[in-house]
Amino acid sequence: MSTVKTDFGGDRGDLFALMLRTSFLTVITLGIYRFWRLTKLRRWYWSSIRPGGIPLEYTGTPQEKLMGFFVAVIVLALYISLFNLAGLFVAFNMADNDISYMTYAIGAAPLALVPVIFAARYRARRYILSRSTWLGIRFGMDPGAWGYAWRACMYWLLAILSLGLLWPLMTFQMERYLTDRSYYGTAKFRQHGNPFMLYPLAIPFYVLGAAIVGVLVLIAGETDEATIGWYIILIVVLSVLLVLSGFYFRIASLRAMAGLKELGDGMEFGIEPRTGKLLRIHIFGNLISGFLISFVSPVILGLVVGFLYLIGRVDAGAITNPPPNLAAFLGALTWLTVFILYGVFRQVFVTYPTVRHVAATLELEEPAVLQGIRQRDVDRNREAGGFAEALDVGAAF
Amino acid sequence: MATMTPQRDAKFAAKLALAYGEILDGIRPALQRVSLRLSGDGGTLELRNTATNTTEIWQLDGLRLVPDQARTDALVLAHQGSGDARLILRDHEAIRALLAACPNLPDLGSGRGSLGKLLALGTAAVASIALILFVLIPYMADRGTDLIPPEAEVAFGRTTFESLSETMEFRECKSLEGDAALAQMQARITDGLDLAWPLQIRVIDNPAINAFALPGGQVAIYRGLIDAAETPEEVAAVLAHEIGHVVNRDGTRSMIRSMGSFGIVGLLFGDAVGMSAAAGVSQRLISSAHSREAEIAADAFAHRQLTRAGLPPSAMGDMFARMQAQGLGEDMGVFRHISSHPELRDRIEAAMQADTGAANGAPVISSAGWAALQAICI
Repeated sequence: MSTVKTDFGGDRGDLFALMLRTSFLTVITLGIYRFWRLTKLRRWYWSSIRPGGIPLEYTGTPQEKLMGFFVAVIVLALYISLFNLAGLFVAFNMADNDISYMTYAIGAAPLALVPVIFAARYRARRYILSRSTWLGIRFGMDPGAWGYAWRACMYWLLAILSLGLLWPLMTFQMERYLTDRSYYGTAKFRQHGNPFMLYPLAIPFYVLGAAIVGVLVLIAGETDEATIGWYIILIVVLSVLLVLSGFYFRIASLRAMAGLKELGDGMEFGIEPRTGKLLRIHIFGNLISGFLISFVSPVILGLVVGFLYLIGRVDAGAITNPPPNLAAFLGALTWLTVFILYGVFRQVFVTYPTVRHVAATLELEEPAVLQGIRQRDVDRNREAGGFAEALDVGAAF
Repeated sequence: MATMTPQRDAKFAAKLALAYGEILDGIRPALQRVSLRLSGDGGTLELRNTATNTTEIWQLDGLRLVPDQARTDALVLAHQGSGDARLILRDHEAIRALLAACPNLPDLGSGRGSLGKLLALGTAAVASIALILFVLIPYMADRGTDLIPPEAEVAFGRTTFESLSETMEFRECKSLEGDAALAQMQARITDGLDLAWPLQIRVIDNPAINAFALPGGQVAIYRGLIDAAETPEEVAAVLAHEIGHVVNRDGTRSMIRSMGSFGIVGLLFGDAVGMSAAAGVSQRLISSAHSREAEIAADAFAHRQLTRAGLPPSAMGDMFARMQAQGLGEDMGVFRHISSHPELRDRIEAAMQADTGAANGAPVISSAGWAALQAICI
């Protein structure tokens, strides 16, 4: 009985350089380079996560992503246009002189994309697993995107109709669906446990939700304005706590379910990210990114204007009262620097520490199970996350 | 490795003979220790498994670097023809020796996926989107327009006009004689037409030179257009053009088109580069391409209808030419959807050519009626 621990070996400065270079290329190629950026980022992150000292490897290629994306765009363009038009005709024929129905029917057309989004997520995950290796052995996933999509739609509907009471049920069932279809080499993953084990983790969320409803009821019956003021302050405080308890539920349920996953015959896992730590990362990471962007962007702008002034392209009068083309150029430049740099800063100060913290808590128990595992066949799936990319529902990297 | 000198070759061999690496065979999830040795004429690397005493040969020019690794303290190498196997070198001397021997170590996967195939697929993707936007959706809009019940279209047009009227603060001009003149003009140019719904023609108190048609027979003429016209026949020509839009159901069709293509251009850009603006611009280009066709068709309708009513189609050309000469820019309402001067010239020319001189000389409305129409907003 031994435990394999994980270390994280990526350097923040390297990531900054990689992110800056690839984000710039992405913008000047009108987005085409984003498939190369995504591939490079994944290779980098994967190689910095080293369970037992051996880095993961990401083997996906930008070319296959671009191909998958093109195919997805063609299919989705057909699907979206057909649904838009169908919605319109149904609306026109149902509307029957009452135009307000039509607005609803047209507004509902994008709902046709919801199952496609779930399927796209499943496929993106399958693609990523099939292009990930550790110790030279591939991960993998069975096909099952549409089964996932309709289950996800049903569970979401249940969760909404039950006012959130069935949310933990959904969380567990969807995680089990994904886990039970995943492989490492020839060995299968299995999710143990049951949905009820997640309910204790959701108690703070439910209590706070009930408290907010209670205060709202009190407000409705109250006439004294001062008291209503206090109630509103109370609601604001409770709402902040509600968001935090939702955050806690997400992380705690991830921990609980990871502890009950099994690979093959007896290999177990632990992922122990701390809610407080992740919360700090998100709050401070976003603050730092915002602060840096408000500092760096004017500096860049100033340098460019100063350079133009030095080479004589603008004079002092043009700076206080810029002609339209200069104003447009500076506007575009500001937008670009803010857009590129904000993404870079968030990657470096939010995503990076998050991945580092989560990865460093990963532990594998009973590594002897590995001895019975062999390589699995290459998953020739051509989709390569293209649908998730076209619908913009991909992961952070 | 033609570039290797015998000396370097020998040094490299000597260094590597002392080196150890770790290999992942891509079959079992286990790290195996190998000793490295350069062999043959210096073009191959011998990997001897110290546990099993088996030896594998890797060609030096088949070596590939696994790129974008976060850790620089180890080199991860793949070998063409050895499948998923990886060689991990941690020994700094061995890494340096290997990089010196193969200074241009190519990245794994750098040559994969031919550019031609990517270009072909990219062209196909853009072409299919263009096909959907410019062929399929217009086709379905043409077909679909007939599926929409006329009553629904009339209701839709009325609601659209009401909401437009509210936001633009339209004031409708009315006078007994003016309305009578307008009705007379309408009767003359719609002679022999079988419309699915009644026309509703309004004059709006607005100085812009403009007119528009909405679904369901809603037509509006701005006061500015009547003021700019020198003869009632010019107003009649513009009116005939707008009635052409009504007959062709262009308002409904363009609505179906824009609804149908909603969200498609956005697919291409994603939000990876914040290209929503580019998507918006493309959407505009598409709709103006659609409407240019519609304008030309409405002109053709007007020419036919005016000729049939014994009125001169050239009146429209006269008016456009005069406004163009006066330097009234394209921002004027009548010129909407027209992006360049040649197109305006084409329209003027088409109007002139359509005039067969068959006009019977009878004015479209009496001079008293024309005066009443000119004074309708006063």
